[in-house]
Amino acid sequence: MYVGVDVGGTFTDAVLLHNGQILTTAKIPTKTDLLESILEALDIVLQDVDIRDLKRIVFSTTVITNLIAGQKYDKVALLLIPGPGLSHKLYDFKTEVCILSGAIDYRGREIVSLNEKEIEETLTRLATKGFKKVGIIGKFSPRNSSHEKQVAEIIKEKYPDWQVELGFQAGPQLNFPRRVVTTFLTCATREPYSNFVNSVRQALAKREITAEVFILKADTGTLPLKHSVELPVETIFSGPAASTVGVQSLTSPDLTEVAIDIGGTTTDISLILNGQPLLSAKGARVEGQLTQVRTLAVKSVPVGGDSILERVGDEIVFRPERLGPAYCLGGPVPTPTDALRVLDLTGLGDEGKAREAMESLGTPLGMSAVETAEKVMSLVVKSITAEVKKMFLEWEQEPAYRIWELLQKRKVSPSIVVGVGGGSEGFIPRIASELGCQAIIPPYAPVANAIGAAVAKPTLQISLRADTEQGYYHIREDGFQGKIDRRSFNEGKALELAREKLLDKAAEYGLEVSPEEIEVTHQEVFNMIRGWNTVGRLYDLTVQTSRGIAVPIKMGGK
Amino acid sequence: MRNSSDKKTGLIFFPAFDWAISPTHPEREERLLYTRDQIFEEGIMDLPQISEYVSVLAKTHDIAMTQFCVPRVEDRVTEAHLIAAGAAILLADEIVSGRLKNGFALVRPPGHHAMRVVHGNRGFCNINNEAIMVDYLRRRHGIKRVAIIDTDVHHGDGTQDIFWHDPDVLFISFHQDGRTIFPGTGFADELGGPTAYARTLNIPLPLGTTDESMLYILDNLILPILSDFKPDFIVNSAGQDNHYTDPLGSMKVTAQGYARLTEKLRPDLAVLEGGYAIETALPYVNMGIILALAGLDYSYVREPDLQTFRESSDLTGYIHRMVNSLLQQWEKRDQALPNPKLIKGNYYERVKRIFYDTDGFIEEQVEKLRICDNCPGYLAIDTEVNHGYGLSDGKALCISVPFTACSSCRKEAASFYEEAKKRKNYRQVYLQDKPSDVFLGYNSVNGQEWRSEG
Repeated sequence: MYVGVDVGGTFTDAVLLHNGQILTTAKIPTKTDLLESILEALDIVLQDVDIRDLKRIVFSTTVITNLIAGQKYDKVALLLIPGPGLSHKLYDFKTEVCILSGAIDYRGREIVSLNEKEIEETLTRLATKGFKKVGIIGKFSPRNSSHEKQVAEIIKEKYPDWQVELGFQAGPQLNFPRRVVTTFLTCATREPYSNFVNSVRQALAKREITAEVFILKADTGTLPLKHSVELPVETIFSGPAASTVGVQSLTSPDLTEVAIDIGGTTTDISLILNGQPLLSAKGARVEGQLTQVRTLAVKSVPVGGDSILERVGDEIVFRPERLGPAYCLGGPVPTPTDALRVLDLTGLGDEGKAREAMESLGTPLGMSAVETAEKVMSLVVKSITAEVKKMFLEWEQEPAYRIWELLQKRKVSPSIVVGVGGGSEGFIPRIASELGCQAIIPPYAPVANAIGAAVAKPTLQISLRADTEQGYYHIREDGFQGKIDRRSFNEGKALELAREKLLDKAAEYGLEVSPEEIEVTHQEVFNMIRGWNTVGRLYDLTVQTSRGIAVPIKMGGK
Repeated sequence: MRNSSDKKTGLIFFPAFDWAISPTHPEREERLLYTRDQIFEEGIMDLPQISEYVSVLAKTHDIAMTQFCVPRVEDRVTEAHLIAAGAAILLADEIVSGRLKNGFALVRPPGHHAMRVVHGNRGFCNINNEAIMVDYLRRRHGIKRVAIIDTDVHHGDGTQDIFWHDPDVLFISFHQDGRTIFPGTGFADELGGPTAYARTLNIPLPLGTTDESMLYILDNLILPILSDFKPDFIVNSAGQDNHYTDPLGSMKVTAQGYARLTEKLRPDLAVLEGGYAIETALPYVNMGIILALAGLDYSYVREPDLQTFRESSDLTGYIHRMVNSLLQQWEKRDQALPNPKLIKGNYYERVKRIFYDTDGFIEEQVEKLRICDNCPGYLAIDTEVNHGYGLSDGKALCISVPFTACSSCRKEAASFYEEAKKRKNYRQVYLQDKPSDVFLGYNSVNGQEWRSEG
């Protein structure tokens, strides 16, 4: 049996699954204490269950989002080793930043060495200012992490109680400014996040739950709870990931579809292309700052069932705030839900009050309640469909660096619009017809997020880079560096090495991964020619465990 | 196009990681690999001043309206060429429409050695990305006057050839002296055709020229001439092989020098040309150019082995004298009389031999420009490739009617085309009618005619 729990801003949802059948669901208001919400939802779905039958629990929580938004963490200093390139004056990381001498180039060669005296002086200054958490981030550190590690060694010796995070681990992709932000967030959230993880583990132990526990990531993969402490930021934005995986499991595989989650004041849109949720080309934007966190390409439109409707001049507009439920449900102001009630697209609330709400908006403009409701409907539908079209356009316009990539770009259009979340029912058919699609509101749509959490699968990734001229290879995720034989090393060996490393990592995480499940997601080989001779080859490849869902959900068996 | 600074710099990065002339050729997959690493690691694409675009394929019509590809466009270009030319066109479109401040087509393959007639690859180039883009702007956006400043170490002989007779396109190229490097042309006395005198200017540089003299030429020759010429659009053929580490060139220019040049020149669009120091120059020079275009501080861009270069006072003196002499030619641009030896009846005529280094053959051309009092006159080029031992693909006739052609020249060119079709001594006959944006091609072997229009 699997359990999925999604802690959202307003509601916490949980489901219990067995062999693809949904046995129990729960929906409770989220409390200030996230742990309390998790346990309450968990206790409801586990009521009549022998906990020994429970195989796996997956959580999707807003804990990281809340920590970052509320800045509930200690101050963090950043030690940057940027070297030449972009002007250091252009960096604005909104925290204490110290620039250290030293530089590494694109092939991982040292071009300027570190200055130990400067490092020590800097550390003394930080200590005086009371910093105990530092991020060390070098430009090109994923190609050579020795500078970051050397600075960390010095800190370990002089200030053993400091918490140190290294850039190459937190941000292993090529993008220095994003690496800095990702390392900062990792450093800031690790301690409070691990406190949260510990209390979850204690609470589960108290209930004698011994099932494997996972946490959902922004890219729809899961991590074992205890390992999630290594990369806490990756669990940000797991809510939209949960809904999207939920849609994936509730609809037929291999479809190109739009998943729309209409909530109280926001609507999240994500795309599933040929059965795979679309990832954002770059990383997530967190509180306005760009990171390297792999995430779904999700767009949020500030409109939902409880948005405030207002008249401004001759226009009806909505504001992205909530003052309470819809007017027809006893709320203070007209909302899109009142429009749905007038149009008989929802059974919720009092029809008379809904009419009253629409009239208060429409009468001064010479419109009847029904006309006003139609106007509101088209306003909401247009703002959502415009965003969907924009997302497809943006996907088509993602850069391509190879001829074949550019030539295979073609127009992709969805065939299905899937609605989940509370406000979907009334709007989805209209949105779908506007996009020329079929509308689907699957059974269990209100808890699709929790279902998504329950069926999400662990994903592990290993990136290997080998430079045969310099005679070494490098594993990006853990900074491991090994020697290779320049003559006999080839593409097959590179792949074999990466696969081995992935299986090692899976074993470390306690996951069963069969070699057939491993996918190659990136593969790049360049001959290095100097003069007219081949002096070496550069291999860059990424392997991962297959993305997807653990079990498809069987319909109808409630 | 002097636009306000709140707009972004458009960037198309197309390294064509799956295209090479041959595995060990300088124009190979690896060329922009380290540049990619550098600009990705610096987070250039995330800067609020930069907007990254994805390229589109140029249309064969856009190529046919500028260059005569023999026998047809499809036979002389690959998809990579169409993508590189398409990048220049797309960015130019966005800039002229006011959506971008300026742009950089950081693309390969390059194009500035590709001439008006194309039989194959010359100097790593098949089609001329800048020339195709410039003619596109003139056809689609009514742009009248364009300046192309070529800062590659090799003479931009292809671009020079295409605009040689065009009084509305100013072409200025500085490069290593043609006596010591491919393509062996670009001397100071190459000044353009009889109707476009001094609209072509060449500054051959002695070996070892540094940032100092390069910027002297910019400040004292190029910028003053640009302010006289008043172009609607400025293009920079941004070759990077004047760099001190380039394996093909022998200059001493640095990334800072290139960045300063870009900042002062303020091109609307820069298009990458050559530059083959793929590790030691390109990552740094490209960074410098992008930052300068975006109006950002580029002072931290620095090559790892940077030194201070000095030039001899002889070299500096030589450059100063050449700048003065070219300025005098520029002053005389509207009084210059054509060489009477070139006049043959109603035409100015010149005979050219063009060497295709990559493909190893020679093209022979007789180029005739119709003398006309009312317009720059149409051009008729008789071309034949000689593979040696008397082997030839047969002759082709290429007729090009300029944008500002008078009606009688347009009519005469059209009947010239029709007559040549009948005479059968040409295997192919082409007519480019720029005023009406129509291209006609005729194959006399099978009697087929094809037509394209914009």
